[in-house]
Amino acid sequence: MDPAQQPIGSSMASSGGDTELWRTTLSRVIPMIYGMFVRRGIHPSLAEELTQKSVFDAYRGRTEFDPSRGQVDAWIVGIARNNLALEMRKRKNSQAMQPDLMRHLAALDTAVLPDEALECDEMRILIRRAMSDLQDNERQVLHLRYLEDRTVPEIARQLKITDKAVHSLLYRAKISLRDKQIQLQPLLREERRP
Amino acid sequence: MKQNNEPFDSNISRLVKLAGDSERPSEAFTEKLIGEVLGAEKTAELQPEMERKYPMKANWIYRISTAACVLLMAGLIGLFMMPSLSKSKRVSAYKNSLPTYYDQRHVYTEVTPSESIPRSAPVTPYFDEIRYPSNWKEIVANSKANVLTPAHGGTTPPNSEPFDAMFFKNYGVNPFVDTDDDRFSTFATDVDTGSFTLCRSYLDRGVLPPRDAVRVEEFVNYFKYDYPAPRNDVFAVYADAAPWKFAPDRPNTYLMRIGLKAFELSDADRKPAVLTFVIDVSGSMAAENRLELVKQSLRLLVDHLQPDDRIGIAVYGTNGRKVLDHTGVSNKGRILNAINALSTNGSTNAEQGIRIGYEMARQAFRPGWINRVILCSDGVANVGQTGPDEIFKLIKSKVDEGITLSAMGFGMGNYNDVLLEQLGDKGNGHYAYIDTLDEARRIFCGNLTQMLQVVARDVKLQVEFNPGAVRSYRLIGYENRDVPDAKFRDDKQDGGEVGPGHSVTAMYELKLWNNEPARNLATVFVRYKDPDSLAPTEFNGLITAGCIHPVIEETTNDFLLAATVTEFAEILRQSYWARGAMLDDVGRKTTILMSRMPGNNDIVQLDTLVRTSRDLMHLKKDNAEPDSGLHDHPVIMNEDGIIR
Repeated sequence: MDPAQQPIGSSMASSGGDTELWRTTLSRVIPMIYGMFVRRGIHPSLAEELTQKSVFDAYRGRTEFDPSRGQVDAWIVGIARNNLALEMRKRKNSQAMQPDLMRHLAALDTAVLPDEALECDEMRILIRRAMSDLQDNERQVLHLRYLEDRTVPEIARQLKITDKAVHSLLYRAKISLRDKQIQLQPLLREERRP
Repeated sequence: MKQNNEPFDSNISRLVKLAGDSERPSEAFTEKLIGEVLGAEKTAELQPEMERKYPMKANWIYRISTAACVLLMAGLIGLFMMPSLSKSKRVSAYKNSLPTYYDQRHVYTEVTPSESIPRSAPVTPYFDEIRYPSNWKEIVANSKANVLTPAHGGTTPPNSEPFDAMFFKNYGVNPFVDTDDDRFSTFATDVDTGSFTLCRSYLDRGVLPPRDAVRVEEFVNYFKYDYPAPRNDVFAVYADAAPWKFAPDRPNTYLMRIGLKAFELSDADRKPAVLTFVIDVSGSMAAENRLELVKQSLRLLVDHLQPDDRIGIAVYGTNGRKVLDHTGVSNKGRILNAINALSTNGSTNAEQGIRIGYEMARQAFRPGWINRVILCSDGVANVGQTGPDEIFKLIKSKVDEGITLSAMGFGMGNYNDVLLEQLGDKGNGHYAYIDTLDEARRIFCGNLTQMLQVVARDVKLQVEFNPGAVRSYRLIGYENRDVPDAKFRDDKQDGGEVGPGHSVTAMYELKLWNNEPARNLATVFVRYKDPDSLAPTEFNGLITAGCIHPVIEETTNDFLLAATVTEFAEILRQSYWARGAMLDDVGRKTTILMSRMPGNNDIVQLDTLVRTSRDLMHLKKDNAEPDSGLHDHPVIMNEDGIIR
């Protein structure tokens, strides 16, 4: 039987019996709703946050799920869609303001970047070019830490270096990335000027 | 740069994720999230409603053994406690007490005595003053009458507001009053600044604030004015006025400023303080790094407190709990460790958090010290659905015992401005909204003594206008601080609390009689209580026509600043009396102010906000759909930003 068809709702009230069922369901649904957020232009970090929120909402409200009305996947995706709609509506009015990337990059140390800055194409191109300009070990450590969400000990094992060396490498890589971005931004703007 | 610079680390993490082009999350993220969800089950945080409501029902062995124990105990008690009538009386008394408890909490759920009679364990896990049934949290959180939207919005369908669940209240706009009808204007002082910083936060996000979020007096009082502080008295009063036209069709109108300045006190002379922080760590505090901002703010505060001061911390998510017993600031490491370890989880049970905080404050109470509870939250949504009246009653009773409360607001979305402002007001503390670390620095470092110590309680002002000179007047702002004229000298009437060095500014728009020779304009009466003895004091001062500057160019920079801020706030809140006022004009005044007062960052900030508002109003006009004529208060801007 397809796990999506299993009557997960009826066993929701008990905590122990359906843990494996939930694990299977979440393994399937989490990539689905994360992809939905990213395809709608939400930047990956926020997509992770919204995914987390949707999954917690679903799990917290699981007694409200009625299996007779549809599959559990569709129910969780519906919750995610509501969260997406809330997010889009929240920023509806602010989209008209063009983010000033140079100003945001210059203040990278002290102010949290706004979502709008992270979601413009220019920032995406800029970060990819800056990443490609980094040294190999710097790029690799950033990739492992932030794209694969590995912990420092895991990275240390993989790169066969000490935890302390990973911390040090990460620190240098972050500084290099920031500096590269600030250097590249005016050049990129010049290139993209029609 | 420090290695653990949180905004920088967060930015880099978010930026690097942009470099990935996968539409799938990393496996580590998926695994971690599943682990969090299923792991949280064990901590009861995410247990479904029925299971939390009757946690032991599923365990039949436990039920049978409990029933056997109860029967055995009942038999033993019956043998030793004669006559048996007294026992039935006690049980019926307990049963009768149940409805009272539930009525008080506004939760009307039928609970059978067998489910509610507390076991022999302590009635609450934290303190034993409040005698609730042992499972009251579950009952309150899960009763059918009580199914609430999760604090962060949850599965609620979207509405048409730019930010979800922002609660404001429209207190109206004071009208012009003819002095022939009522020559007295009475109000309680307000030194809050929350409205200004909240609206600034809206504008920084590129959104015009809702009109109800604008309280003019909080805009005006955000800025510093150069009133000389009194040396021998508690207060000094200042007044000046100048011609000022909000609208072209109101000739012969003047703007009058009344300033009240309290004496100053150095940080070293401040009383030592027992501070109890009650921190919201519900899931919504994870958004926009809100909890991080709280933590950064607290770290700043710890650095600026005196060694004698003491700090305790309680938090609330789904449940409230004590995190740090009151600890002297000399033991900074322990306090910082507790702050650093805070993390978000669950829904918002503000009421329980506040109760625990107050209980901690009661236990750590020191006579003659500042005993203050400081609530840090992004909203006070409550899974208990206890009405605010219950919380207000608690706060009021504790104020009488000498424990005051300040409310600090954080974040945008799911934010209850009304409740936080009232909590600060009823708690005899104050209300501030912290949108940036700079604002936290301003409040916790620059104005800490003002925030904590009170030099006058229940401060009220009454202005008696001279009907021979003033035709009519309008108090701008203070709509929710109105005090009936007859209650000015009623010392039970609540007023505002003022700290050392605080200044309170009130702006009046006046219409004077034409061709009236110079004479006295008004008399200002100030009444307040001593914070320790509560003895009332009253004094008054005369405002003569000599206070009027003949032309606006001759006014002081301070007057021009207060007037400009007033006009800006009036336009933002779409005041009826500011029809015709233009943000372009306000922008010109801020430019003049910047040239007259170079290096004043507050004015630069004001200028930026005015220009952002003007641009947003133009955008709003450009994007406006054709007016259906169904709006209660249609607002249409022309190209100059004129409200029609």
